[in-house]
Amino acid sequence: MMDANEREVYRAAIRGDRDAFEMIIRTHSRTLFAIAYGILQNREEAEDAVQDVLIKAWKSRWRVRDPEKFPAWLCMIARHRARDVFRKHRTTPLSDEITEQIESEAIDTTSLNRQLHSALAALPEVHRSALMLRYFEEMDYQTIENTLGLTNGALRGILGRALAAMRKQLRPALASFEQP
Amino acid sequence: MTIHDDIDSYLAADLYYELSEQEERALHTHLIECAACRKIHQESKIMNKVLEEKFAREKPDPAFEQRMLAGFRNRIPQRTASTTKLIVGFMRLRSAQIAAVATLLLVLVQVGRMITGEGASAPRNRQYAAEERVAAQPSVPFSTEAGALGKSAGIAQETDKLATDNPILGGRLATPSVPAQTESKDEKKPTTGQMEAYAVDTYRSNDIAPAALANRKLVRNAQVEIEIANFDEAEQKITAFANEERGYVATTSSEKQANGKLKGEIVVKVLPENLDRFLQKMRGLGELKNQTLGTEDVTKAYFDTDARLKNARVMEQRLIDMLKTKTGKVSDLLQVEKELGRVREGIEKMQGELKYWDSQVQFATVTISLAEKDLEEPASFLVKERAQLALYAPDVEKVYNDIKGLASQKVQITNAQLDRDYSGRVSGRVGMLIAPEESDAVMVRVKGFGRVENFQGQTERIAQGGSGMSENARTKRDKVELNVTISREEQEQAFQQTTLQIRASSVDEKAKQLHALAEKQNGRVRSSSFSRDPNGREFASISLRVAMKNYPALMQSLNSLGKVENVSVQRQDRAGTQIDEANAPTDISIQIYSQGNIVSSETGLMATLRHTLAQGATALMWSLRMIGVALAFLAPWAIAILAIIWIAKRIAQARRKL
Repeated sequence: MMDANEREVYRAAIRGDRDAFEMIIRTHSRTLFAIAYGILQNREEAEDAVQDVLIKAWKSRWRVRDPEKFPAWLCMIARHRARDVFRKHRTTPLSDEITEQIESEAIDTTSLNRQLHSALAALPEVHRSALMLRYFEEMDYQTIENTLGLTNGALRGILGRALAAMRKQLRPALASFEQP
Repeated sequence: MTIHDDIDSYLAADLYYELSEQEERALHTHLIECAACRKIHQESKIMNKVLEEKFAREKPDPAFEQRMLAGFRNRIPQRTASTTKLIVGFMRLRSAQIAAVATLLLVLVQVGRMITGEGASAPRNRQYAAEERVAAQPSVPFSTEAGALGKSAGIAQETDKLATDNPILGGRLATPSVPAQTESKDEKKPTTGQMEAYAVDTYRSNDIAPAALANRKLVRNAQVEIEIANFDEAEQKITAFANEERGYVATTSSEKQANGKLKGEIVVKVLPENLDRFLQKMRGLGELKNQTLGTEDVTKAYFDTDARLKNARVMEQRLIDMLKTKTGKVSDLLQVEKELGRVREGIEKMQGELKYWDSQVQFATVTISLAEKDLEEPASFLVKERAQLALYAPDVEKVYNDIKGLASQKVQITNAQLDRDYSGRVSGRVGMLIAPEESDAVMVRVKGFGRVENFQGQTERIAQGGSGMSENARTKRDKVELNVTISREEQEQAFQQTTLQIRASSVDEKAKQLHALAEKQNGRVRSSSFSRDPNGREFASISLRVAMKNYPALMQSLNSLGKVENVSVQRQDRAGTQIDEANAPTDISIQIYSQGNIVSSETGLMATLRHTLAQGATALMWSLRMIGVALAFLAPWAIAILAIIWIAKRIAQARRKL
């Protein structure tokens, strides 16, 4: 359950209290980043997406009736925004500069890192979000449940399945990792 | 579900320290027992480590929040927000809210006034202005005290002006101003209203005029209108009353009416102080119809003339003195002589005037109009009779000449006219005046010349030399005026009309038989026609006219011709007219027809096909019309709903842009 103080902050933000909203930016932008990163797998893009999400949230804050739902609503916007960016970037051909950048990164990264990326990309979106919240924000289960609007059982299942899927994908690489 | 089956989620929860103690124990027990799960556990731990390392690198740097905040502040400037906040904060104040509501109400009221065109503000302003003006004179009290009256005279005027401006305020302020006005007028001279009030007083108390009126020159006049039973008697009584009141009868005039009644006028002079008593006595003469009592104050004119007379006398004396001394030129003397003549003329005129006034003032004039009762009663009555007679005759000309032949000393033909139009129809009109004693006999004779269609008699009693009723007036019978119109029988409207159909096999033959039947009953065939239609049906239409007395017999005989169908009888009862029913004409329209071919051309394959197609087309047209109607019903709703949705969308867009 949300404590009264927190709810008051959300309510003030919805009413247009700028200080309250800035407080929310401080406390929630990392969560939003985690969600956006989970979808986009790119730090810069995720950061831009979070910025857009915050602006959009401020402008359409009056749509939220119940202050308790404010964080979940923020996450939802973040997911939508990230998905939009993701779709746009993957459909337009990448410019030379970016392609080069990606290539140079690819050279630097180990094969494990590449495999990690592809394994993550193969996961369903909710699984990725849950993983990100866990590893970026080191959130406990209850916070993740609140943020993503899930039940405890569902979250346990999701995280279990996500880890299992990753494990299966990365098993050969992990074996080599285990050796040394 | 066992731990083994759900090992993935257990292991994940274990890695993130989310297992309860009981679960943890159970998991560890299972891991000791199950080698496969142990392996997965191992792998998971490595996996977790890899992920932790990986995401530790990818984590946003510590300045991330600051960057987000800076970006937000850049893109949403503080200024606009603070202004809105200021306004919102201001509107949260209770006093500001009340003020806003009050302003809104005021604006609404003003807008309402502007719309309804109610000019309520102007008179209210005037009222305020009036109150201010009154308040500007606070030192003067509105009292009836004598000392204050002189001072308040000016104010009274002021308030009067206000009173006309403003009725509400005026009612309040006008009251104290009244005493001031009346008192100032009293000093000059009494108003007519007061004089009348005074006269009424004296009339009631029968008192002699008080000393205040002694020096006044008042001319009193009275007009009385009385209805009496006998004029001569009344005249004697009036003379007696006049003598009693030390007056006299000045003039008497009377006039005799056609009905022997008298009316007249008597002018009586009585002493003014006895006037009221005299008038009281007059009431005993008969019914008082009208009375007016007037007083004219000639005091000012009288004393003005008196003063002028005195001056003229002094002038006269001086002129006489000038003549006596006889100094100066002859022309001057002549001039003096001339002037003296002019002055004397003026003196005489003024003396005459004063004398006249004296006589008027000395005696009051009472003009009595007398009229005997039932003055308007008529002297005699004249009875005028008028009669209109409409005749139908077979031979108009003969009847016309017969009526003209009635002319004699006592029967005068005033006009006679015989018209014949282009179709040969003849009608005649005769107007005659008949001596009263002959009238009944002549009318009976005229009626015998033809069939009476209509007779109207009218009697009028004309009062002569007056109006209304009278028991004594004689009644005289005047000549009887008779107007006769003669028309041919043919033109007469049938008293009864009958239509019927007869079905017969041979139409032609039956029509001939019908002619014969009509002949037998003295009927006349007015028209007949014969036709045959393409289906071989034959029709014969015959219309007859017979006298009413022969009608039943003819109807009976028609049965011999064939089957009588569709009989309808229409009778025109003319109320208020005497009708010779037995001889009245009745019209009968008869249609004789044959059956003809029975088979219709509307049969066969083509006809059926045509019918079917026509019905199909009708049904199609009907459904089209219904669709049109349905569209007409639904279209406005659809348009309205679409418009509302469009507006709602626009509003939502606008709000999102905010």
